[in-house]
Amino acid sequence: MFMYEYFLEKNQNLKHMKPLRLLALFIIPMGLIIAAVPQNKTKPYKLTADQLLGEANTRTQYIAPEAVADLIIKKDPSFRLIDVRSQDDFEKFSLPGAINIPVSDLLSDKYTDILNQDVKMNIFYSNGTITANEAWMVTRQLGYKNNFVLEGGLNYWFDAILNPKKPASTSPDEEFAKYDFRLSAGKALGGGLSVQTSQNQSTESSKPSIQAAPKKKKASGG
Amino acid sequence: MSNSEKSGPTKYLNPYIGGVLLGIVLLAANFVSGRGLGASGAIKSALVTAETVITPATSEKSGFIKEFREEHPGNPMKTWLVFEMTGVIVGGFLSGALAGRLKFKVEHSPKITSRKRLILALTGGVLFGFGSQLGRGCTSGAALSGMAVLSLGGFITMMAIFGTAFALAYFFRKNWI
Amino acid sequence: MGPLSVNELISENTNLFLAFIIGIGFGFVLEQSGFSSSRKLAGVFYGYDTVVLKVFFAAAITAMLGLLFFSLFGWIDLSLVYINPTYLTSAIVGGIIMGAGFIIGGYCPGTSFCGASIGKLDALVFIGGLFIGVLIFDLGYNIWDGMYMAKFLGSPKISQTLGLSDGVFAFLLIIIALTMFWVAEWAEKKFPREEY
Repeated sequence: MFMYEYFLEKNQNLKHMKPLRLLALFIIPMGLIIAAVPQNKTKPYKLTADQLLGEANTRTQYIAPEAVADLIIKKDPSFRLIDVRSQDDFEKFSLPGAINIPVSDLLSDKYTDILNQDVKMNIFYSNGTITANEAWMVTRQLGYKNNFVLEGGLNYWFDAILNPKKPASTSPDEEFAKYDFRLSAGKALGGGLSVQTSQNQSTESSKPSIQAAPKKKKASGG
Repeated sequence: MSNSEKSGPTKYLNPYIGGVLLGIVLLAANFVSGRGLGASGAIKSALVTAETVITPATSEKSGFIKEFREEHPGNPMKTWLVFEMTGVIVGGFLSGALAGRLKFKVEHSPKITSRKRLILALTGGVLFGFGSQLGRGCTSGAALSGMAVLSLGGFITMMAIFGTAFALAYFFRKNWI
Repeated sequence: MGPLSVNELISENTNLFLAFIIGIGFGFVLEQSGFSSSRKLAGVFYGYDTVVLKVFFAAAITAMLGLLFFSLFGWIDLSLVYINPTYLTSAIVGGIIMGAGFIIGGYCPGTSFCGASIGKLDALVFIGGLFIGVLIFDLGYNIWDGMYMAKFLGSPKISQTLGLSDGVFAFLLIIIALTMFWVAEWAEKKFPREEY
């Protein structure tokens, strides 16, 4: 206590000293605390188990193969296909333009920038949907956005897109439209021939479900 | 002639307290709106509105305005910054009224005339207006708010502003001291 | 969890209204600290009035610390907070031009509104100058848009660039700020001037 009085007396003539000393006294320990805290603590928000379950149940992460085929054909630059199978599988066959991130390597630092961003739409795919969903769950739980799963995986892709079955004659028009689209998409993706323009009106699956996952609009500066 | 000396020293808030309060306001802005304070952007908004009203033809051609319109569809005056700056006027007025500082005057060093001060103010304004667009912000938006969120760009702009002002201070000292 | 507006916890109109309220706080504090006076503002460059330095840095470290602590407590999601982008060339050139404007005009946009609100005619004229300056930039945009968009580095943080954690950098800045405060006190004692 005496030191404090002594200190005060000595500095009487300095203008604004008391508030400054008060400020310093308070802010230095605060600064030390915040410096000591590891960077991770101040990282962004992650999903809770409840939220993740909720999202998984509403299946917002799925993208229909027709939508993906459409994106590939239109050479849409806003998406990116990620093959989460092993490197061997990837090399045997992969979707056009896909990159390979084996799910075992998912959390490696070199992929963080690809998985945690808000510029492109990442679409995970595997043979079925189990592995792709694994990847989706892990990245979603970390709070990453813009990651999706190819519905049905490659197995369904082969069936539906590359070898579509002609619908029975009693099927609704929609089925024929879907069939037409798949046929032409399959041609384009399997061999790259002409693409019929009728596909644009035919797809009954509306735009890819990016709108379903709420895209938070950041404030812009000035 | 405007008198720049007052009858008694006017009482200002202790700058450290003022600073901490300002920091709290800045924190509030980030917490509420996810962005820091700013000022120059409001001028841009006002200008866009004026241009579209007065000369709709030129406003179409300007690439800068087109970018602005793309980012802010709808009324260009209905932006965060315009509302904020309106508040600044009200807040400043309230503070001035409370402290008895409301007075029309041209504040200048006794060594120069009011007229010279006004010319300098205009020149300074033109430079600042131009620079703030180029630098994407002014001392409030880029420097202060940028520092608070640790933005590198904000920090660089701040250093450039203060560094240049310090460097040129000698040449303009007659206007202030 | 903040930011309230980005997380859609408040409507856009509420956000704008709160911007108005925040602006009142901003203007009030600025004027109370003397930022409505161009002579006080210019004082830091000559040593006779260091209010700019004190207020600016006190505000910066308060807000910085505040944001980091809020994030620590989970009250705000820092990834949703706007970080000014870095366009290297225009940041520097713009800053230089603004620096000149500052020492000549004695105001910056925010403080000029503050000064104008209490009747300072030179502040009003400064605002007029601002309009002209922005207009010039806009009219000649094609000439300098190259410079304006040059060297885009994204939105890096200073701490990232230095390879420090946010907290460590904040602490460093606090020390630097406090040092500057003490130097400012010394300078004011050396170059005293009366209050305006």
